[in-house]
Amino acid sequence: MRPFVYTQAQNPQEALSAATANETAKYLGGGTNLIDLMKEDVERPTELIEVADLKFNEIKPNSRGGFTLGAMANNSDTANHPDIRKNYPLLSMAMLSAATAQIRNMATNGGNLLQRTRCPYFYETSMPCNKRETGTGCGARNGMNALHAIFGWNDHCVAVHPSDMCVALAAIGANVQVQQANGQLRTIDFSDFHRLPGDRPEKDTNLQPGELITAIELPKPVFSDHYYYLKIRERSSYAFALISVAAGLQMQSGTIANAGLAMGGVAHKPWKLTDVEKYLKGKKPSQSTFEEAAELAMKDAKPLEDNKYKVEMGKKAIVRALTQAYERGA
Amino acid sequence: MKTVKASGIGNPIDRVEGHLKVTGRAKYASEFSVKNLVYAQGVNSTIAKGRITSIDTSEAEKQKGVLKVITYKNAEKQGTFDKEMPSFGLTTIAPVFQSREVFYYGQYIACVVAETLEQAQYASRLIKVTYEEEIPDIHLEKNKDKAYKPDDQADYSRGDMKAGMQEADVTVEQTYTTPNEHQHPMELHAAIVSWKNGKVKMYANQQILEQATTAIADTFMIPKENVQIITPYIGGGFGSKLRVQRHVIMATMASKMIGRPVQITVTRQQMFTNTTYRQFDEQRMRLGAKNDGSLTALAHHTTSHTAKNLQYYEACGTVSKMLYKTPNNEVTHRLVPLNMQCPASMRAPGEATGSFALESAMDELAWKLKMDPIELRIKNDTQIDLGADKPFSSRLLIECLRIGVDKFGWEKRKMEPGTNKDGNWLIGYGVSAASRRAPYMKTSAKVILKLKEGTVNANVQMDATDIGTGTYTIVAQTVSEYLGIPVENVKVEIGDSEFPVTPGSGGSWGAASYCNGARKACENAIAELKKKQNMAEDEEVAIVDLLERNNLSTFEAEGTAEPSEEYKKHSVFSFGANFTEVWVDKDTGMYRIKRMVNVGSAGKILNPKTAYGQIIGGLTMGAGMVIAEQTKVEPNYGNFITRTLADYHVPVNLDMANIEVVFLPEEDKIANEMGVKGIGELGITSVAASIANAIFNATGKRMRDLPITPEKLIAAEIESDVM
Repeated sequence: MRPFVYTQAQNPQEALSAATANETAKYLGGGTNLIDLMKEDVERPTELIEVADLKFNEIKPNSRGGFTLGAMANNSDTANHPDIRKNYPLLSMAMLSAATAQIRNMATNGGNLLQRTRCPYFYETSMPCNKRETGTGCGARNGMNALHAIFGWNDHCVAVHPSDMCVALAAIGANVQVQQANGQLRTIDFSDFHRLPGDRPEKDTNLQPGELITAIELPKPVFSDHYYYLKIRERSSYAFALISVAAGLQMQSGTIANAGLAMGGVAHKPWKLTDVEKYLKGKKPSQSTFEEAAELAMKDAKPLEDNKYKVEMGKKAIVRALTQAYERGA
Repeated sequence: MKTVKASGIGNPIDRVEGHLKVTGRAKYASEFSVKNLVYAQGVNSTIAKGRITSIDTSEAEKQKGVLKVITYKNAEKQGTFDKEMPSFGLTTIAPVFQSREVFYYGQYIACVVAETLEQAQYASRLIKVTYEEEIPDIHLEKNKDKAYKPDDQADYSRGDMKAGMQEADVTVEQTYTTPNEHQHPMELHAAIVSWKNGKVKMYANQQILEQATTAIADTFMIPKENVQIITPYIGGGFGSKLRVQRHVIMATMASKMIGRPVQITVTRQQMFTNTTYRQFDEQRMRLGAKNDGSLTALAHHTTSHTAKNLQYYEACGTVSKMLYKTPNNEVTHRLVPLNMQCPASMRAPGEATGSFALESAMDELAWKLKMDPIELRIKNDTQIDLGADKPFSSRLLIECLRIGVDKFGWEKRKMEPGTNKDGNWLIGYGVSAASRRAPYMKTSAKVILKLKEGTVNANVQMDATDIGTGTYTIVAQTVSEYLGIPVENVKVEIGDSEFPVTPGSGGSWGAASYCNGARKACENAIAELKKKQNMAEDEEVAIVDLLERNNLSTFEAEGTAEPSEEYKKHSVFSFGANFTEVWVDKDTGMYRIKRMVNVGSAGKILNPKTAYGQIIGGLTMGAGMVIAEQTKVEPNYGNFITRTLADYHVPVNLDMANIEVVFLPEEDKIANEMGVKGIGELGITSVAASIANAIFNATGKRMRDLPITPEKLIAAEIESDVM
């Protein structure tokens, strides 16, 4: 590891001031991703600002009839919280499919949103990667890309976002609360929080320099009966998704009143299927409806050399997740 | 009570060293406290082929705590290979920093020595290297024209293969591939080395001490007696710690140069690039059989790769020479030199991969014949090893298969694939035969008896190692058995190259060799004590009485056990059969191993508990071969792009099924006097094919390229002859 300064923030203002004063500083939550990346020499912050003690760890009802997830609450406590299990079982299911129990015990909710891609070119410092080192090129574009994007990529970057939690949040629809460097609060819609690579693949999110995530706001729960998180992976635990699908259905007298649908492992950000959600609204659930939804979802997929399997796998996964979601509550 | 047998061999006692391990008191190589210790960090090349044109170490050398940076510029001259492309053997030298040349990605090009590990690691990142880069050979497919026959053992034939295929009613001709895999023991490779007055003492996790001291001595061109290796505990090796790897040489060179003890620990990433691996194997199988299932021909051709300056081939075809009765047989191995690290032994080298190909092909043949795969194997059983032209010392393969059929409930298997369903699941059963050579080698041990207040305690010393297998426990049980004292009164001292010589741990020969060596030392002690009293050799007397009659409070004896003439006249193998039930999701490509039954015949079981541990470890490794294990090579740069245990997927607990392990009661007295055979690798060899065959039975998809990942399964077509 490279030498760095360690700063323990006692309150949000201290954290924000420290971050404003040093543009190569990083906030430290659970450290489950950042510390690994520092050991690998991928992340090279000159200062770590410890924010784990800032009391943003509550899980409580919010004014919108939903719930607030504190940014510093850990993934285990969040996923296993009785109110979350009851009202947002889709979120619990997704979160508990991620990583390992040990990692979930350390990982924070805010940190989960900020975890970086698992693209091997990003990790290996001797290889080209625009995300790690601007202008070096994308090694995966013409290299090994079986695990990479089929939506929203470009020649600068074909990486995918690794989170399971974020896929469920995209399906549910959430807001991210952040505190700006000047102390002001700002709300970011979850679908605007993460970015596509564009010409700035080094930027994963739309956070401004120094901004600190304080909470994730969940809307009034509507998918607590019909939900499913399907994660296709090589082993039963501690493996990132090849493809994942978060599906939530709100049923009203046999008809889909609302659908929440998002995919993981397919794009630089959690891939919310807004068009498919609209398509499903008002439909009666059936195999053919779900198959058409899957076709619609994958209509614009652009697979790379090694990940053509993801198109077929994605369709199968959507049909299965919607079917399971529907049947679960039936 | 004069004799105590309860803790002797055959009893499932807990590991005698168990408490030390779970309380952290068992010391592994990097845990010894040595005064004045400094730390070394290896630096890896970032090209696969070329030469270093400049290496700037000035920034690194300026850093606080940095004591030395070693490169080809200041490294001392070391031993050289005596020929081009030598075989990568157990005593092969491992010279470092001898030239500017780079042969593979990740080759060590420098070593930083500093007061702390952190200082060494940080400084290692400040070294600036430029290269004259050449295009490396990294694709087996593109370089097949360079394939060569590695040595005389690589080819074998009997009968007339062509005639055998013509005579057949049914044939199978298919190619199977297995990927690069890494051993990845939990304990990282590590060494603490002190060079003092031309003598080297090191704590290093080497599986075979006698051979490792030779390799180190020859690399530094010093007498072997000047090298001592101590390694009381090893946290797994799986073949990667058989040979001396270059970090040991770097640390030794560093200690010699700076005059202080040096610790080096290989990182997990370097465990990919610098501590060997199993190479990719492409196995072409050709089988012919009569309608009644009798084999008329069997050929097994393996093409693989090796390094540019060192050769190792995985003997995949071994199994096809001996497992079945076929008059016409052909086995070849070819190697293609690539700009990659030299591969080496990993977990049942040859058998694990070779059995996957052979036992998959046998399943394909059974399907074509519409014959039960169990019956096909029984039909072709042989009690003679036709490849070696010797009888087997014992071979209970048929019994393993028959007992497995009962335990597993094989009769519920449906012959037609894809017909056993439960909701979204397709259910399949698969079987595979297992065989693994059970070598036994010359082994010496010393036993030191101490009599105090009517109680005899024994210390046994040998340069054996415990790689997590249970050596301490089974040797203690052996001494307990042959001296007739409680196991608690036995102290096993191993893992020091200055103790009597053993063949070390590897190739599944450890248990049989170590225990017979210890037995011989005990028998010699008793015989010598009887002789002093002019007692008859067969007179029964307790060891405590013997010492008392001799008026001795302490007594030492040595013994050496070695293979008999009978052993040499036979082929000595362990056998087994593995049964697997898989549930395959009809859409997503995911599957679950629901359960496995493994039946083994491996001679006398010294300790059913440690033996069970060996088999479930083997089954897990075998499942890993199928589920996900593979190290991918970047096609443009030639590096292993799989570089942590987050991307190199070994099975997790959730992946492993309900496992039932059965050992057939057996004592193979031809194998050795105790009737013991190896089981370390037996468990691995049968697993991959049994899972792949079960997947075929479930889906009708024949998966010939490991690992079988969801992406491959979803893309695979159902075989054309499946309804």
